[in-house]
Amino acid sequence: MFEKLQRAFWKALTPDLIAETVAAPTPSLLSASVLSALGGADNLKSQQRVALTRVRVQLQDAARLDEPALKAAGVPGVMVLGGGVVHLLTGL
Amino acid sequence: MTTTQPLELLAPLSGVLLALDQVPDPVFASRMIGDGLCIDPTSQTLCAPLAGVISSLQDSGHAVSVTDDNGVQVLMHIGLDTVNLAGQGFTRLVQEGQRVEAGQPLIEFDADYVALTARSLLTLMLVVSGEPFTLLAPDGNCVDVGQPLLRVSPGEATAAVAQEEGEALFSKPLSLPNANGLHARPAAVLAQAAKGFEASIYLHKQTQSANAKSLVAIMALQTAQGDTLQVSAAGNDADAAIKALVALLAEGCGETVAAPAQVIEAVAPVSSAALLRGVCASPGSAFGQVVQVAEPELNIIENGTGETAERDALTRGLLAATEALQTLQAKAAGSAQAEIFRAHQELLEDPTLLEQAHGLLAEGKSAAFAWNSATVATAKLFQGLGNALLAERAADLADVGQRVLKLILGIQDRAWDLPEQAILIAEQLTPSQTASLDTRKVLGFVTVGGGATSHVAILARALGLPAICGVPGQVLALANGKQVLLDADKGELHLEPDLAEIETLQAARDQQVQRRQREVAQAALPATTRDGHHVEVTANVASLQEVEQSLALGGEGVGLLRSEFLYLDRNRAPSPEEQAGTYSAIARALGTERNLVVRTLDVGGDKPLAYVPMESETNPFLGLRGIRLCLERPELLREQFRAILASAGLARLHIMLPMVSLLSELHLARRILEEEALALGLEALPKLGIMIEVPSAALMADVFAPHVDFFSIGTNDLTQYTLAMDRDHPRLASQADSFHPAVLRLIATTVKAAHAHGKWVGVCGALASEALAVPMLIGLGVDELSVSVPLIPTIKATVRELDLADCQIIARQVLGLEEAAHVREALRQYHAATVQTSPVVEH
Repeated sequence: MFEKLQRAFWKALTPDLIAETVAAPTPSLLSASVLSALGGADNLKSQQRVALTRVRVQLQDAARLDEPALKAAGVPGVMVLGGGVVHLLTGL
Repeated sequence: MTTTQPLELLAPLSGVLLALDQVPDPVFASRMIGDGLCIDPTSQTLCAPLAGVISSLQDSGHAVSVTDDNGVQVLMHIGLDTVNLAGQGFTRLVQEGQRVEAGQPLIEFDADYVALTARSLLTLMLVVSGEPFTLLAPDGNCVDVGQPLLRVSPGEATAAVAQEEGEALFSKPLSLPNANGLHARPAAVLAQAAKGFEASIYLHKQTQSANAKSLVAIMALQTAQGDTLQVSAAGNDADAAIKALVALLAEGCGETVAAPAQVIEAVAPVSSAALLRGVCASPGSAFGQVVQVAEPELNIIENGTGETAERDALTRGLLAATEALQTLQAKAAGSAQAEIFRAHQELLEDPTLLEQAHGLLAEGKSAAFAWNSATVATAKLFQGLGNALLAERAADLADVGQRVLKLILGIQDRAWDLPEQAILIAEQLTPSQTASLDTRKVLGFVTVGGGATSHVAILARALGLPAICGVPGQVLALANGKQVLLDADKGELHLEPDLAEIETLQAARDQQVQRRQREVAQAALPATTRDGHHVEVTANVASLQEVEQSLALGGEGVGLLRSEFLYLDRNRAPSPEEQAGTYSAIARALGTERNLVVRTLDVGGDKPLAYVPMESETNPFLGLRGIRLCLERPELLREQFRAILASAGLARLHIMLPMVSLLSELHLARRILEEEALALGLEALPKLGIMIEVPSAALMADVFAPHVDFFSIGTNDLTQYTLAMDRDHPRLASQADSFHPAVLRLIATTVKAAHAHGKWVGVCGALASEALAVPMLIGLGVDELSVSVPLIPTIKATVRELDLADCQIIARQVLGLEEAAHVREALRQYHAATVQTSPVVEH
């Protein structure tokens, strides 16, 4: 919510300086098996490609994350952070 | 000294291994710094891979090196381009020179913050002392922190080159240009170059020195931009080494560095001791006394008097600030100002700011302390992003923060107790500061920051006061009460004005006042040139009240009704009846003999509409704006057409479409208009025209002309799209000048095409409101000037002083000039010539 507002505000004043990083959820960013390991598409608040090698997702409920299933789905590294934020290390 | 026991380096982090070749950064991938490996981390604490001494630790905390007792030196660099974060997101847990155990935590970092703000989190571990090693874990595998990762064979490093003997030569001192000092990358480039010489080479910073062939030693110097450095060398090729390294340092060691300072000085206007120069932000001149604008220090007590009381205090403060901002929006001097205050108001509802503040309240802090800490921290975050524009917007956050703070502390946002004849001087005036000014006492503004479209410039023009921006910082040191002369037309502030100068300007000012009185008195006279050419002077309006004002000041109609005024503040669409009522009232006020040009909804990502959910766009100025948005949501356009058509017959009704860039847009809109007119049973369609504000429309005006009834040129947008310069950009705004010949040529093209098809052309952008531009626009053949309401008498009077034949000559001349400044100069000369002759004509 903060991010959204903040972006809206700064964008209004500095239109082309803030790159639109919150991409509309596109199914292509994550495969079906990865999605299900994250607790299903409806557990996903946002997804975003960051830092060259990562997909940053925000989960509604971090408890529904299934790390072994993620690895099985081909995500070599998973970094669970606070507030439902998870980095999926997908490589270059 | 060397032990035969192999040394195992432990993984400094958990994560996924990556070969060095794959690292998307040439300096690391080429092993210029050293060989090693890369980890994409899944843990957030960097630990020592070996026991030893911290041999370098960057102030910014993103890189550290450890040297063991046998001289094995390992550098760890967290992330790519993380030096730009300037320490944000990193916490150093050890100090340079400290002895650490293998596995001891060295640096903590906020992985989410770094991932979101830096290029990458890929972390390098490099054996910079050069010993060979074998990898203990295969690529692409996951490693856990502390797991053995590399086996180094100590003592096999290439033996250090024997120290060259002889007298050391020293270079001249030079200033380091690199924005972030010699961090890993430029340091590696320098060390690599130094290694190419036999001489022993040292880099000196004040009393410290470092072996220039050692990357880590260079980094340990902790250099910063502007540091004075010297290179020394001893040995056979010392002379060549110094020359090469000094040149390399001056060029930035492979980093792009700002052009040398003297180049900038050469471009900047010259200021002298008695004269400071800036850019004219609002014309005019004034003689007055310096009043430095500085915010008072606020006394904030950290500890609160109970959480409930402090929570109430914060809530009250926020509520009062919201009300104040709403009032300010209502009486803002311009729509831009109103928008700024609206954005401020939104910030007050920002959940994270509130969350931060409430968190501090829960810790027993006072409301003032909690709010201040929350806003200052967020403002800092924006300043820390290393982006000048965002940093400037942090000023808005600071502004709204101060507003609430003063309300909590019970400090009256007093209308300043200004002395008479004040010339306000400030780094930058905030919207709140200018809103509480007693403008009757202010004669002018001088600011260090900002450009012709900055907040203070907008305000100054709305008030008709002279202002200059971009003045050197030394202006802030002028004593309060000092008598100065502000000549905004020339962009000058005279610090030691002599009597003659003051009298000349005073006389000019008196003349201006008299001229204004004369202009208003003669406002009802038509705008006809001396040789009988009539130009229609109409008004740009956004309300019925402005329409009435314009008629009192001699306006001949409305050339631009900004219809979005009906919409911008709403959470819900205004009812069709309300819209129809407003249009009809305006049309009735004008009567059947005057033009009413209604521009359809001109909103978009840059000025969003509260009740139409719009996806935010990366670049709203090139997104769904104006007619594009209307065609995307045709029901909005349909409803607006119906409302406008309700006023048909009450005035000479014209409908104008904004931001048209394609012919198909015009055709689609016309079809919708025809359908609505048919449904209402109207026999005659109102006139339909388009704004010319996109270069494609101007260039294709001959194709558009047969399909429209008129063109109206929006010079503000046309300028920014033609020159590809944001008119609100602090550094570009002064160059985004509508007097640029490129813009003028597009106007000429448009007029020619329109007249060939018997259609009229107006100018409703800011250019039409500039008296200086009037002869040029008339000479180019523009038929109508739609100007801001207070300027109607001035523009009409200006027209009456002109000869069409002269105007045509000056117009032809300026089209061939090179840049906006030349055009302005040519017009000024022409103006000086006509003003001298005009009093004779009047008598």
